[in-house]
Amino acid sequence: MTKLTVAMTKLTVRRRIAVGLAAGTTLLCAAPAPADDVPSNSARIGLYSVFYHVKADDLSGPYVPPGANIDANNVNTVYLAYVRRLSSHFDLELTAGYPPLQKTVGKGPAALGSVPYNGQVIATARWIAPTLLVEYMFLDENSKWRPYIGAGVNYTTFYDRDSTAQGNAASGGPTKLSLTSSVGPVGTVGLAYNLVNHWNMYASYSISQVKTKLTADTAGVIRTTHISFGPQALVVSVGYSF
Amino acid sequence: MFKFLTPMSVALSAALLCACGSSSQTSAVAPSTDHGTLAENPPFRIASLNAATFQAELAGTSSGAQLLQITGNPSCGVDFYYVKFWTLGGAGETTESSGALMVPTGAAPACSGPRPIVLYAHGTNPDKTLNIADITNTTNTEGVLIAAMFAAQGYIVVAPNYAGYDISTLGYHPYLNAEQQSGEMLDILAAARTALPKTLSSATTDSGKLFVTGYSQGGHVALATQRALQAAGATVAGVAGMSGPYALEAFGDALFFGNVDLGSTLFAPLLSTSYQKAYGNIYAAPSDLYSATYATGIETLLPSDTPLDAIFTKGLLPQTALFDSTTPVVPGSAQLTALLSVPGSPGYPLPPTAQTPLFAAGFGSPYLLNNTYRVAYALDAASNPDGAVPAPSTGVPLAAAAPTQPLRLAFYKNDLRNGSWAPSSPTLLCGGDQDPTVFYSVNTGTMAAFWSSLVQAGLITVLDVNGTPGGPFAALQTGFQESEAAQLLFYESAAGGGLSPAAAQQLIVEGYHGAVAPFCAAAARAFFGVL
Repeated sequence: MTKLTVAMTKLTVRRRIAVGLAAGTTLLCAAPAPADDVPSNSARIGLYSVFYHVKADDLSGPYVPPGANIDANNVNTVYLAYVRRLSSHFDLELTAGYPPLQKTVGKGPAALGSVPYNGQVIATARWIAPTLLVEYMFLDENSKWRPYIGAGVNYTTFYDRDSTAQGNAASGGPTKLSLTSSVGPVGTVGLAYNLVNHWNMYASYSISQVKTKLTADTAGVIRTTHISFGPQALVVSVGYSF
Repeated sequence: MFKFLTPMSVALSAALLCACGSSSQTSAVAPSTDHGTLAENPPFRIASLNAATFQAELAGTSSGAQLLQITGNPSCGVDFYYVKFWTLGGAGETTESSGALMVPTGAAPACSGPRPIVLYAHGTNPDKTLNIADITNTTNTEGVLIAAMFAAQGYIVVAPNYAGYDISTLGYHPYLNAEQQSGEMLDILAAARTALPKTLSSATTDSGKLFVTGYSQGGHVALATQRALQAAGATVAGVAGMSGPYALEAFGDALFFGNVDLGSTLFAPLLSTSYQKAYGNIYAAPSDLYSATYATGIETLLPSDTPLDAIFTKGLLPQTALFDSTTPVVPGSAQLTALLSVPGSPGYPLPPTAQTPLFAAGFGSPYLLNNTYRVAYALDAASNPDGAVPAPSTGVPLAAAAPTQPLRLAFYKNDLRNGSWAPSSPTLLCGGDQDPTVFYSVNTGTMAAFWSSLVQAGLITVLDVNGTPGGPFAALQTGFQESEAAQLLFYESAAGGGLSPAAAQQLIVEGYHGAVAPFCAAAARAFFGVL
């Protein structure tokens, strides 16, 4: 390697870091493409399996029997991500699963009065959880397998919140639900496998913190709880670099 | 890369925008506050119990198990709705009130489809937080009673908590104000009829058949409601007044003449405040009526968030001493002076009865009501005597039509003999003849005698659950009397405290008014069942 080549490489690295920082601070606003021929961008699509480890306070408010709690069903959805190569070892990933229909189920008494509760789907909502991760890729860029770790921040918001017929029956009538949005840390470990040329496969496992306050309004009767979803996500995806 | 990024960002933005709205809805709040308007539709369902669960919950407590013996096992499930509606106070003030809509449910034919409504008025309750719809509250015994007696047997039950209770911010309760209370009954009936089709129990519908009943205070309210419905041209299928103070002027006279009933120190502030708010002339200041010991704060004392026991303990009300034990001397009337002396004391003109000790307990010091007020009332009662008190006059026991003392005039205005009306639908008057709280003969007896000349024979049925068993309600009479006898033995037993016969009898007297309630309610259900 000549001195000139080394100098150019250093320049390129510095420039990539600068671009990465810019991308990180402006959330992926337009940035000039790097000068070398290593693709700087990739798009990934895959399967996003979310497993919850829900911890929620018992519902509080009028006419709630002791021990009435809630749980969330695990979901699978489509994983979508855009990844910006920051350097040979650092990537910046913006992830968003296609908003799945999340089912919330009753947990606790088998019935509230005579209304079935435990295990009943009482509410549905869609969530979108854009997540920004900085990832460190181990091994050389030319390696067939590259493990990686990452850390970042997750924003989760809920919409299309509906109390089901079973939920309305348990709550005592048509119920308006609101859930506060959540911002929390996320950590991931993963493995990348280069299939051919620009195509890679990825498998990753993430843990994030998603906390919300649920408020249910049934004819002016307000019940609340704080929920920590404790989602763990398994993602298998393919990516194309360009 | 930019071609990829842009749609992704747009998609994210769109999703985030979606999050700002909510697609779920709750009940609609009515824009109108006109009386009779349902404030929130559909109403909130506090609980839904099927027949088996309701039966199991009742059987789980000793009082519930006893009630089941009188009501029988539930045939239907019951959905308990908490109805909020607009009504008017005693002086025409707009106020929100609340109550219960209990809807029978279940597959049995008698539990859904078109069902009759029982419009129910509850008895005197010092608890401002009373919510008769809240079946989950173990102190709501009257709510449990009407649910088990009527709703679980296929009747839709509609029952107000009354203005001044629960969510109502009226600040007082228009107690035994016939016009207000009957108006509120009609208001909750209208609100409940609006609500029913929108509830989770809409498989049960209003058949149009209407029964009206109530216990104690609610017995008075039930008959006042019957009068109001008749005046409005509505058809009432049947009415049951239960242990109610119907002949209020006669009842008031009996009290002021020294026949102090059990609970009088609770009833007096409720009555005087109600009539002061409605008519403004009961007193210029509370101290005109109340002794200095209790006058301060008396107008806002009841109903209260504070338990009645604590009200007594704090010295805010005397337990039984309605009148001063130093009885007044009425100038120029030795007869009236004697009549106002403590029952059973030397010089008291009437022979002692079993109730003499009860009446005597109504005198003490400190006492609730001033002698000067008592004398003014008694002078009016002596000048314009009621036809039923102190001694029933021959013929129809009419109320004195033109009393002059303001409290007595208020009693007259709310006496159900006022207006010379009579029921046009079958009416049951049920009570127990030893009732120490709402005297049977003065109220039920007087009302029945008053109506006897005004209605066709057979329209009015009178039932004394303590009477000699006979007729269609013989089993209930026997049941009541056996229940009382068993309760007396229980109090004397080791398990019941091993009380002396006298102490046990005292508890029987104290519990008598409440003990009659389920038996009269069962009689009402049987009475309605054949109409």
